[in-house]
Amino acid sequence: MKTLIFLVTIILVSPIFGIILADIVGFHEPLDIAAEKVELHDLSKDMNWTPLFNYTIPDLSPEIGYIISGLLGIATILGAGLVFKRRGKQH
Amino acid sequence: MHIPDGFLDITTATITYIIFIVFGYYALRKSRGMLESEMISFVSILAAAIFAAQMLNWPLPGGTSLHFVGGALAGILLGPWLGFLTICSVVLVQALIFHDGGITTLGANALNMAIIAVLIGHSSYELLIRNFGNRDSIRFLGAFLGGWLGIIIAGAAAAIQIGYSQSFPYGLAITFPVMVGWHVVLGIIEGIITALSIIYLSRRAPQLLSVERGVK
Repeated sequence: MKTLIFLVTIILVSPIFGIILADIVGFHEPLDIAAEKVELHDLSKDMNWTPLFNYTIPDLSPEIGYIISGLLGIATILGAGLVFKRRGKQH
Repeated sequence: MHIPDGFLDITTATITYIIFIVFGYYALRKSRGMLESEMISFVSILAAAIFAAQMLNWPLPGGTSLHFVGGALAGILLGPWLGFLTICSVVLVQALIFHDGGITTLGANALNMAIIAVLIGHSSYELLIRNFGNRDSIRFLGAFLGGWLGIIIAGAAAAIQIGYSQSFPYGLAITFPVMVGWHVVLGIIEGIITALSIIYLSRRAPQLLSVERGVK
């Protein structure tokens, strides 16, 4: 339970770093900087398959989308762990 | 660190996918006996924690950011095979659900973060502990070096993959110094977080560390 509270807290504060401060600084990952120099084209948006692209949710603000995406990601990983655990017990 | 679609040519993407699949198959076989109920819980909680930590992008003045990758931490805690499965689950969720990292580059991203960073982290830590004993100072140094070197070498691997992509034959001269240069600096934070986490866990729950359990 303590771990879960810790994880949810991280997700709740994550938009401060991942969105708000990032917008202020105008950040690029090192990979983006390198890609820009060799003029690589990011095809992600051209061949996108998910409505949750880059931790956003359609019609929601980026901050709320980021939080819900984070919670969804954590739930998916923990849920998969639970499924494996139950399958392990059955065998 | 996550390479998007369009950054790698078909040859590089295929080679990295093959390495990822072969290593993944071997890792699954090697970890079969280790995946007991408690260990599955620990792996999934650690994966969820690393996923959450990766969402904390710390923007830096000058236009870059850093976030914890966690490959070395997973490698030191769980060993190379379970460490791979842990980071692999994070990379898969990021790519398949959020398109953070491409589908054509999934093999490369898994190779860099789930194989290279994990192996370097685990090996650096184990090397120091085996040769100099498991004192706190050595644990700290081993975990720091594991985190720092893991990020640098994973960054270098990403630079080589992009630089050697056929469409951009002269890219390596640019991608390598940029990627390695940034990760030498950003890796210091990864090393410190890894080292502090390992020191904390070695005091609170030393049985969680793979070296203590004799995992190779």
